[in-house]
Amino acid sequence: MDYIITTEQLTKKYKNFISVNKVSMHIRKGSIYGFLGPNGAGKSTTMKMLLGLTSPTGGSFMVDGGHFPNDRISILKKVGSFIESPSFYTNLTGRENLDIIRRILGLPVNAVDDALELAGLTEFGNRLAKKYSLGMKQRLGLAGALLGRPPILILDEPTNGLDPSGIYEIRNLIKSLPSLYDCTVLISSHMLSEIELMADDIGILNHGRLLFEGSLDELRQSAVQEGFAADNKPGGKDTGLEDMFLSMIDKDNKAIKAPQSDKVSQRDKVSQSDKVSLYRKQRARL
Amino acid sequence: MNTLIIELRKEKRTGVIPLLLLAGILGAAYAFVLFFVRKDTLLNLPLAPMDVLLTQVYGMIMILNMFGIVVAACMVYNMEFKGTAIKKMYMLPISVPKMYLCKFLILTVLLFIAIVLQNMALLKIGISDLPKGTFKMDTLLKFTAYSFITSMPALSFMVLVSSRFENMWMPLGIGVAGFLSGMALANSSVRLLLLHPFVVMLKPAVAMSAQPDNGIVTISMAETLLFSGMGLWMAKHLRYE
Repeated sequence: MDYIITTEQLTKKYKNFISVNKVSMHIRKGSIYGFLGPNGAGKSTTMKMLLGLTSPTGGSFMVDGGHFPNDRISILKKVGSFIESPSFYTNLTGRENLDIIRRILGLPVNAVDDALELAGLTEFGNRLAKKYSLGMKQRLGLAGALLGRPPILILDEPTNGLDPSGIYEIRNLIKSLPSLYDCTVLISSHMLSEIELMADDIGILNHGRLLFEGSLDELRQSAVQEGFAADNKPGGKDTGLEDMFLSMIDKDNKAIKAPQSDKVSQRDKVSQSDKVSLYRKQRARL
Repeated sequence: MNTLIIELRKEKRTGVIPLLLLAGILGAAYAFVLFFVRKDTLLNLPLAPMDVLLTQVYGMIMILNMFGIVVAACMVYNMEFKGTAIKKMYMLPISVPKMYLCKFLILTVLLFIAIVLQNMALLKIGISDLPKGTFKMDTLLKFTAYSFITSMPALSFMVLVSSRFENMWMPLGIGVAGFLSGMALANSSVRLLLLHPFVVMLKPAVAMSAQPDNGIVTISMAETLLFSGMGLWMAKHLRYE
């Protein structure tokens, strides 16, 4: 198999807290890899390591055959990224911000217009970035990642802060990228419903550990085997898949909590698994 | 060169460039006004005319330059931290130490222009207001170089400090503390205090002679190299997080 990004036992430890725990993931060239997990699962930290923003405390990874820090420049030339929140110069306009990135990447002048158009920001290009709305800042961050159409895109919850039509637009754009110019996308989200509409492969992370890695079809098969019936009504959500995901997280949370249960006070027992159950009840009511 | 152009483009609307140029213009204006108002008093001091011209005016000029250095250094990195733009830079194929070096170079050139503007005013005053035959061009040039070299430790220290703090008030506070402690310690004869970059910058202002002190020149150069080396090392080895 032709993998463009691989990690081997990748670990990130902060004093007493393990943010990413021996994660081995494999991202196929030209695919959309959905990185799924609840908040605080370690998705952003893993992505930060892939971009050299933070160094791993254990394990290794490879991006298109290169390693950090030796191949930092050559790796970053191939990667368009958007991590956590949009980053930009508040004193510059959207266009000027993109022009800075364009110069760093050594791209032609028209690359800025192309990126502005892809992100739907053409008419706001000359406005100061600090005056952008949250959604526009998000689009500017995306435009920065898409500038020059890089072969690898690492996007951390890119639809945060966008309105429903914006989410739909960006989702369709991301979905079209591999066929448009043979791009590989690593995209994170805490919503399976979001990821299943785009991803070819999926990795489920919880408490820093990779609970599942495989294609969406493999996840569906697992869901059926585990007794979560797929409910693929036309235009409807795959509730069996979502149940499978929630159950996976739930089980893992319980397994982690069990050895610690004696130490936890009664008041603190509103746990992640309770939140999952609550989420399920709320969803059932809707 | 590309990194330098990128850094210059980033400075747009930050006020860094006008700030240091303004320090130069205000310093020059101060020299003119001072000699216009107090020419006779100054020239009656028991000092050589060139010493009067260079040391008696330099105190205020140096304070303007110091203020310019502290604020400009804070601004040059504040634009990176505001809007977390620096995070994007870490994710792009650009050398972070080169970025640091270019910011340092931009401030150095701007400070040099400010000092040249101020010393051009002193040149004009020297030619027109000093007693005939007392103006010495070589003394002025030496003092220009001396004031520039002694200002560099404070500049390299402030760039280093501002590159390490996301909150602009931290480097600004350190700069103000450096300025105040420097003022308090500048007259001391304890050589160890020359490790303080602001004390070094203040030395030409508290001297009664315009002749450069070679010991201070050497210390200034060593400190400039040390602080810029530290800044470059940190930019290379300490990551965004």
